Amino acid sequence: MMLPPSMVMNTIIGASLAAVVCSMIGVFIVRMNLSSMGFCMSHAAFAGAALGLAISRDPFVLALGMATAVALVLGPVADKARLQADVVLGTMFSLTMALALLFLSIVPGSVVSSTALSVLWGSVLGITTTDLIRLLVLMLALLVVIFLFYKEFFAIMLDRKLAEESGINTKPFYYAILFLCGVTVSVSLKLIGGLLIFALMVNPVSAAYQFSHDMKCIMLISPIIGLASSISGIAASLYFDIPVGSSIAIMSVAIFLVSVSLSPKRRRGQRC
Amino acid sequence: MLIRLENVHTFYDGERNSTLKDITLSIGTGEMVCVMGPNGAGKTTLLETINGILPSTGRVEVFGRDARKHGHDIRKYIGYMLQAKTFPEDTPYLVRDVVLMGRFGKIGILRRPGRDDWNAAREAARFMEVDHLWDRPIGKLSGGQTQRVLLARLLAKRPRILLLDEPYSNLDCRAVEEVSKKICTLHTRNELTTIMVIHDTAHVPEICDRIILLKDGRLIGDAHPDDMLFSRTFRDAFAEA
Repeated sequence: MMLPPSMVMNTIIGASLAAVVCSMIGVFIVRMNLSSMGFCMSHAAFAGAALGLAISRDPFVLALGMATAVALVLGPVADKARLQADVVLGTMFSLTMALALLFLSIVPGSVVSSTALSVLWGSVLGITTTDLIRLLVLMLALLVVIFLFYKEFFAIMLDRKLAEESGINTKPFYYAILFLCGVTVSVSLKLIGGLLIFALMVNPVSAAYQFSHDMKCIMLISPIIGLASSISGIAASLYFDIPVGSSIAIMSVAIFLVSVSLSPKRRRGQRC
Repeated sequence: MLIRLENVHTFYDGERNSTLKDITLSIGTGEMVCVMGPNGAGKTTLLETINGILPSTGRVEVFGRDARKHGHDIRKYIGYMLQAKTFPEDTPYLVRDVVLMGRFGKIGILRRPGRDDWNAAREAARFMEVDHLWDRPIGKLSGGQTQRVLLARLLAKRPRILLLDEPYSNLDCRAVEEVSKKICTLHTRNELTTIMVIHDTAHVPEICDRIILLKDGRLIGDAHPDDMLFSRTFRDAFAEA
């Protein structure tokens, strides 16, 4: 199938931007064991989209709103309830999934349901210039926030208690990390869908881990690997005529597996 | 007094009974104090209370300020070494990162570590004899090396108070002796106030001014080591444990 060049270009730019932002935030997710964040946020967005359909409002706006709201309350709820963020994420996951099904049951007809499902699967070929601008703004915002508060994030990612001991007030930074994760998931949803975002958040970072013991290097390498996953995924998708989202996810897994096999960390007697 | 606790009760999250019970004590500038007691006596809790980390009732003053209200400011001048801290093998942080991190609170928000910060970190690493490990991943070090790196991290902060929770826990006999000498030199040279939780009476430094004895969250003894170590109170505290 031949696609218009402008659509291909939008897809490439969109997928590249999404890969970069997802891998940037993925460094926090992998390091702080927040891997269920991707699932939880995507289902929150799914519930938002379903709500949008139920009340005849823009599903993507409500998807973004719901995921952001969950990200905002996550940190304070975990701290107040003295629970690990992962435990709260698990609970939120089941709640948002149940809400999504509830909202969908209110809306009859398979067509609207499939609109909600597109939040989960994504539709990279339908990406608009507005979506690209959103992703670009998010990427710049992430870069600015990480640049400004680099040392605080760097310390918290090693150990929150040690960071607190250093004299850093960790709470606002920890909440900021959770919030940025939520926003990243929400904004990237339309591109490859909530379920596959997880692949772009975790796989490039896991691949980068194979090559370095230095967090700074991992923070730099991860977006590059994310970008490589994305571009090679699009190329494979166009060549084999398969869905773009799946293709990107498969390429990110393939790059991770190659990284594991090439990792100097796994060579006997090799010091990294 | 540099540190003053009056009728302090410290509570852990979700617990009705306080872990520390009615503690009153004062510690002056330049004192070296060892905290001893059987397991569960509240030794770590005492350090964390002074560090302003735990919720408590009563008065907790450090540098004349309420440690709970001004915790973040106060902690910029306190070097607190956590008990038996270890790092997984794949922790992607280098020794230099961990040592420099001691400076982060002092550097302040929106500012980057400058040459002075790197110099302070390097000097601390040299003093603790871990500068040859500077570019090694923290997770690849032995327990003793990790302990010395964490001490270097505290020194990089240039603290006025050292709170050390079992600083010898991961060390072999030779390393204990070396680290103990370093702590004593540092304490004297920098005129620090040092509070150290230890288990073994053999680890009480010669320059120790006082031993505080805790049991079941209560302060049951406070005396010079010569008096404390041979006292009946001390023997009984451990005999019944």
